Amino acid sequence: MYSEKFTETIHACRFCFMCRHLSPVGNVTYRESDTPRGRALMLDKVLQQPQLLENPDFQSTIYDAELSAACRTHCVSHFDEAGLLLAARRDIVESEKVPASIRQVADSIKALPLTVKGEAKAELIYYVDRYTERHQPEIAVAMEKILKSAGIRFQMISGADTGKALSVLGYWNDAKEAATNFARMARSGEQKLVITSCPASYDSLKNDFPKYGIDLGKELEVLHTSEFLQRLVRTSQLPLGPLAIQSVFPLASDFLKNYNAGFKAHEELATLAGVTLLPFGFNREESYTAGEGGVVMDELNPRLVSKLVQHVFEQIDNPEQDTLLVLSPYTKYVLTKFAPKKIQLTTVEELIAARIKE
Amino acid sequence: MSNNLTTIMESSRLAGRSYVDAMIRSELTDAVGADYVSSNAADQLGHSIDYYWIPEMWHDRGRENPKAQYIVHPGSAEEVAKVLRIANNYRIPVTPWGGGSGSQGGALPMYGGIILDTKRMNKVINIDTEALTVTVETGMNAQHMEWAVEKKGFSTMHFPASIACATIGGFLAHRGTGVLSTKYGKIEDMVMSIEVVTPEGEIINTLPVPRHASGPDLTQLYLGSEGTLGVITKVTLKIHPIPQCRKFHAFLFKDMHQAMTAGANIMRSRLRPCVIRLYDEPETARLIKRVLGLDKQGAYLVFGFDGFESVVNLEMAEAIRICQRENPEDLGEEMGQAWWDHRYKFFYPPYMFHMPQAFGTLDTVATFANIEKVYWAMKNVVNQNFPEAAFIGHYSHWYEWGCMLYARFIVENPPRDPEEATAYYNRIWDMAIRAAIANGGVINEHHGVGLKLGRLMKDLYGPAFKVLADIKKVMDPNNIMNPGKMGFRGV
Ligand SMILES: Cc1cc2nc3c(=O)[nH]c(=O)nc-3n(C[C@H](O)[C@H](O)[C@H](O)COP(=O)(O)OP(=O)(O)OC[C@H]3O[C@@H](n4cnc5c(N)ncnc54)[C@H](O)[C@@H]3O)c2cc1C
Ligand code: SF4
Repeated sequence: MYSEKFTETIHACRFCFMCRHLSPVGNVTYRESDTPRGRALMLDKVLQQPQLLENPDFQSTIYDAELSAACRTHCVSHFDEAGLLLAARRDIVESEKVPASIRQVADSIKALPLTVKGEAKAELIYYVDRYTERHQPEIAVAMEKILKSAGIRFQMISGADTGKALSVLGYWNDAKEAATNFARMARSGEQKLVITSCPASYDSLKNDFPKYGIDLGKELEVLHTSEFLQRLVRTSQLPLGPLAIQSVFPLASDFLKNYNAGFKAHEELATLAGVTLLPFGFNREESYTAGEGGVVMDELNPRLVSKLVQHVFEQIDNPEQDTLLVLSPYTKYVLTKFAPKKIQLTTVEELIAARIKE
Repeated sequence: MSNNLTTIMESSRLAGRSYVDAMIRSELTDAVGADYVSSNAADQLGHSIDYYWIPEMWHDRGRENPKAQYIVHPGSAEEVAKVLRIANNYRIPVTPWGGGSGSQGGALPMYGGIILDTKRMNKVINIDTEALTVTVETGMNAQHMEWAVEKKGFSTMHFPASIACATIGGFLAHRGTGVLSTKYGKIEDMVMSIEVVTPEGEIINTLPVPRHASGPDLTQLYLGSEGTLGVITKVTLKIHPIPQCRKFHAFLFKDMHQAMTAGANIMRSRLRPCVIRLYDEPETARLIKRVLGLDKQGAYLVFGFDGFESVVNLEMAEAIRICQRENPEDLGEEMGQAWWDHRYKFFYPPYMFHMPQAFGTLDTVATFANIEKVYWAMKNVVNQNFPEAAFIGHYSHWYEWGCMLYARFIVENPPRDPEEATAYYNRIWDMAIRAAIANGGVINEHHGVGLKLGRLMKDLYGPAFKVLADIKKVMDPNNIMNPGKMGFRGV
């Protein structure tokens, strides 16, 4: 079993309560089994009795995990509970005991084709993830506007997954295949750079691809759009007009913050652009992404995601006035869809695009 | 629980879920909502182990711990009341569960029944910036409460090592304490008033202020009652302005006795340190070395003051002068600050003790005249009877009259067989705690009694225990609230 490789994590976490306060799902379901301790305890039981991996209660708990990895960042020893759950999901899939609902989501992702738009001789590839493409097209529209205004030739790849959603669902082999397809297409032109607005895809390109043996980095640099925009603004490649929004409350991304430690590009970009970042919620450790780490959580358990959104909503001091800077298209989508009242949301792409002189 | 119902529930459990389960579940669902009643196997497992070593060991050895049939998450005192009325009607045991971080087995559903998990009651109700109080629901995580209060520019000053692990209700139920207790008090000193749901499902409030001459103090009766007398659902606590500064200083004394003299002298001088912590020689060599990198023989003592900087500087200078009388090695501010910065690190794996080790925190409290006697009595009894056990200790919470001893025993390889391990573990506790009681100590200072130490309550209280048992009988006639804990009658 893959989860056996995480025995040290299981043994550390199974009786440890030290990061339970940062468990987004636990904080809205109130269930002990939705905390790092509860999950480790459960997977310890599975190590003792492997047939329990088929238990529907255990399976649903494993798939309800939001994988924010806030606990790993918080933990003084950085035990990898998110990695443990991913391994358990892979065990479920590879033992062919995967719940039908999960299989359906995976099948629908596998069926998506990759599509390419734009010039083959472009300078960069802009990868448009599923949430941007289907639900938040304004993010891509803003990015296109920025690229055109900066005079950058670009190609857009969209449609299929880079492999992230599949790997998070436990379909490691299919994820690898999706990643290989993506790499083949991305390498077919002369581009030197891939950018994406989606932190999950960014993490996949940067950190998962090497695990599949795909070294994209040698040929193509990977940047999140906030890093790319920071470069553009720093090097004055964009003619920026006056500020439309003076201050925003950033919602840190799980993938950028907890999977790519030290990621600060959006903060530096805000400083360069003269936008003040105000602290959101009552602490800087909790994940306020409403399940971004789960990548497709809204498809797995929309009821749970609506509770996560409600929790984020309750942290907004003044919903009519405050603008939240969202770093993930997934989060923007679920906050738009599930919040009890309209929330003012923006992204780095929209923030910068709004300042471009026409 | 009546024998009849026990039999019905037991046989229904053996036969799988039957209509009896389904009927009771319907009533509970009606009380708290479908999302908040669970008999899910993952939840039952999560709620079958708290921070008590025995259930951890039991699990580690592949055994099954007792599990609750229903886990309910009421969202208000009214919903708690409904659950307790149902439980009374069917005589089902109810075990309140906050964060499950208690080390005494207090939240374990030893007779099955209902786990009443309080975490859904997690709202801040009011922050009063005139009286400087906060009113919260008691299922709130203590770290979340502190963050919410800090956002308004104040602090609860309740900083236990388990601040992120536990609910505020759990601290009230166990008379918990935080690292700054020496100045700001234990939780029982911080409480203004509480709301309680009685075992029979009535919602009551204690008086709005903690100082009065209007009869005995009902609030204090519930504090430390560990879910045996009802469910505490709301609390108003004192809060404090964030101090201008907090400073620390550390010394290394030749031995624990010299360090104790210095610590006691600071307290007798009536200076008001926010913290004093003194580690005995073995713990200095073991933990202080591991976490702070101090590789020296002796007893490490750290203290701190907070408040206005000018006052802190004066108090600090006086405390340093008091310590210097014993000729310690001055480790300076830096080694004091380092201790504060790493104060929670001790509790994370792998710094914390873990399986297969057997370990326990023998925490007790006594006057300055007795506390070292208690230390030596416990240490000797452990060393003499269990030479394989290490015994370490520190003194964490200091009062004008004495201090708390946080002693620990650690056994590297306890028996593998779980029954044998249980018997072995209990023998250490029985001997050590009886040694403490014989020398003026008590069962416990801030972790409570629970399942772990209930059997020793009669040793501690003598005939006075009957008064407690009678209170329990009157207040909980059907004995549904956390039966079998704190030495009270089981099912
Ligand atoms: C790493 C670690 C460090 C710790 N450090 C400290 C420390 O510094 N200071 C300290 O005091 N303790 C400490 N503890 C012990 C523990 O955190 C405390 O005992 C805490 O009070 C338990 O709270 P809980 O919410 O987890 O309660 P639980 O463990 O869930 O329950 C404890 C008892 O209280 C009862 N109970 C819970 N909520 C209620 C309620 N609302 N009404 C009535 N009864 C209730 C339960 O039935 C049970 O008997 C530590 C524990 C850990 C794991
Ligand atoms: S990740 Fe670290 S803090 Fe969290 S449960 Fe595991 S060991 Fe404890």
